[in-house]
Amino acid sequence: MEGLLSLSNLGVERASRCLLSGLSCAFHAGEVVVILGPNGAGKSSLLLALAGLIPSSGETSVLGKNLHHYSRYELSKQVAWQGELPPTEFGLTVQQRLNLALSDGCGAMESVVQSMDIQTLLQRPLGELSSGERQRTELAALMLRDAPIWLLDEPTAHLDLKHQIQCINMMKTERAQGRAIITVLHDIQQAMAVADHLILIDGKGGAEYGEASLLFNNVRLSQLFDVPVIKQGNLLVPDYGE
Amino acid sequence: MNDRIKWCCILLALLLVFFLSLGAGQQWINPFHASGQDGFILWQLRLPRLLIAFAVGGMLALAGAWFQVLLGNPLAEPYVLGVAGSASVGAVAGLIIMPESAWMMSAGAFVGAWIGISIVMAFSHLGAGRMLLAGVVLAAFWSALLALLLALLPKNSLGLAFAWMMGDLSHSDIPIALLSLAWIVALGCGLVLSRSLDALLLGERHAEALGVDVKPLRQRLLLLASAVTAIAVTAAGTIGFVGLVIPHLMRMLFGSLHRAVLPASAIGGGLLLMLADTAARTVLAPSELPVGVLTAMIGVPVFLFLLLRRS
Repeated sequence: MEGLLSLSNLGVERASRCLLSGLSCAFHAGEVVVILGPNGAGKSSLLLALAGLIPSSGETSVLGKNLHHYSRYELSKQVAWQGELPPTEFGLTVQQRLNLALSDGCGAMESVVQSMDIQTLLQRPLGELSSGERQRTELAALMLRDAPIWLLDEPTAHLDLKHQIQCINMMKTERAQGRAIITVLHDIQQAMAVADHLILIDGKGGAEYGEASLLFNNVRLSQLFDVPVIKQGNLLVPDYGE
Repeated sequence: MNDRIKWCCILLALLLVFFLSLGAGQQWINPFHASGQDGFILWQLRLPRLLIAFAVGGMLALAGAWFQVLLGNPLAEPYVLGVAGSASVGAVAGLIIMPESAWMMSAGAFVGAWIGISIVMAFSHLGAGRMLLAGVVLAAFWSALLALLLALLPKNSLGLAFAWMMGDLSHSDIPIALLSLAWIVALGCGLVLSRSLDALLLGERHAEALGVDVKPLRQRLLLLASAVTAIAVTAAGTIGFVGLVIPHLMRMLFGSLHRAVLPASAIGGGLLLMLADTAARTVLAPSELPVGVLTAMIGVPVFLFLLLRRS
């Protein structure tokens, strides 16, 4: 079945280094796909390639049309990407940053601001926020984008426990409403809580796509991260030793 | 203070400075009761010079605001990519070819500015960081070349060259109508691009993700900012601080959105340069001070004061 976003033989290179190649899969409405892999393996690069922000080989189609045939503006209507914001020097406030994400007046500013607990931050310049507050602002900016496909690069990074849970729940809610979500996560528990499918990237050019229930096993994850991952009941946890 | 009051204050200041600058000079002339020779001085000498100062100041501030966003660097100003240096080399080369000719100096400056811009443009695809580096290195090259040419310059042209290098509004070879048009077109283009410029404040990648075509935007912006700088430099020589200080000042007053920052800078830059030029021609009248010295003397303390007050 044709997905919202489908990849055929996708390859990504950065600085003449092949990060991954030969990835073929399709992402559908109402599912969450989690990308797992060690640092520097190419998880963020894969997201950037899917958003059309860096070049890639193979074929990527968004709603049946080749990614490269979209104009930048048209593509931004279909695919929303969230990544860490570079330090900004010009005093843009949280409210102004959110307004920039608000396309053509759609999106419910008030409820989004409330769901990310940033009501009190609206008039503060981005440069004065803590990392967690910045992250919540970026998540709110993403939620204002009415695109059917969301790409999230470590959405729970810098967040406290409460907001990590809120973020995971937000992804579940959006999935239920038919959004296709592809996200990079580092926490195995979070990934298990939300993933329908997984993409495992090993950092040596290999990428594997499959159902979460099949790929979440301790042997496979131990191999991927090169550390022991053990099974505790239904959970997979890293072995921190005694 | 809400934005409407701030705008009223700026416009009021503009009117005040305009009439003050019109009246002030070697002798005070009341702008509302001027006739005969006074009328001539007022409308034929002071008014054109005032309009040049306004347009040039406004364009420098606009170019500064654009370069700051384009290069993602708050320290950027219109001359950061070496345009002032190449224009100065062109101006002095013009004087060497035709000594004591102010017209040739301006023509040389314009050609020089564009040679400098064309070289920098060749580096624009490498991204903001490397373009900035190329600009800084080129600026060093132009200043070395300038020193060489100054050594070759006939003594009778040295005064003209030095006055130009410190900013000189006493004669402009670009018609006022053209300068005013350039100011209007520059501001208009800036306003059309203002939402894309706002997105660019989030960094190139985030701007692209929001649907902004960053590469052509950067090219257009670089060309626009450079053209405006070249016109300003040709009209009035190299005048520092306006392009650096005014955009920051306006961001402090109006926030960082460009639909406010750009018009405020276009007016604020003009205001500062009118004020500076009036001071330059009255403080030690009948002799004139270089206007670049005055923009620094007025602009820097005001800026530092606001910086301290904000923190």
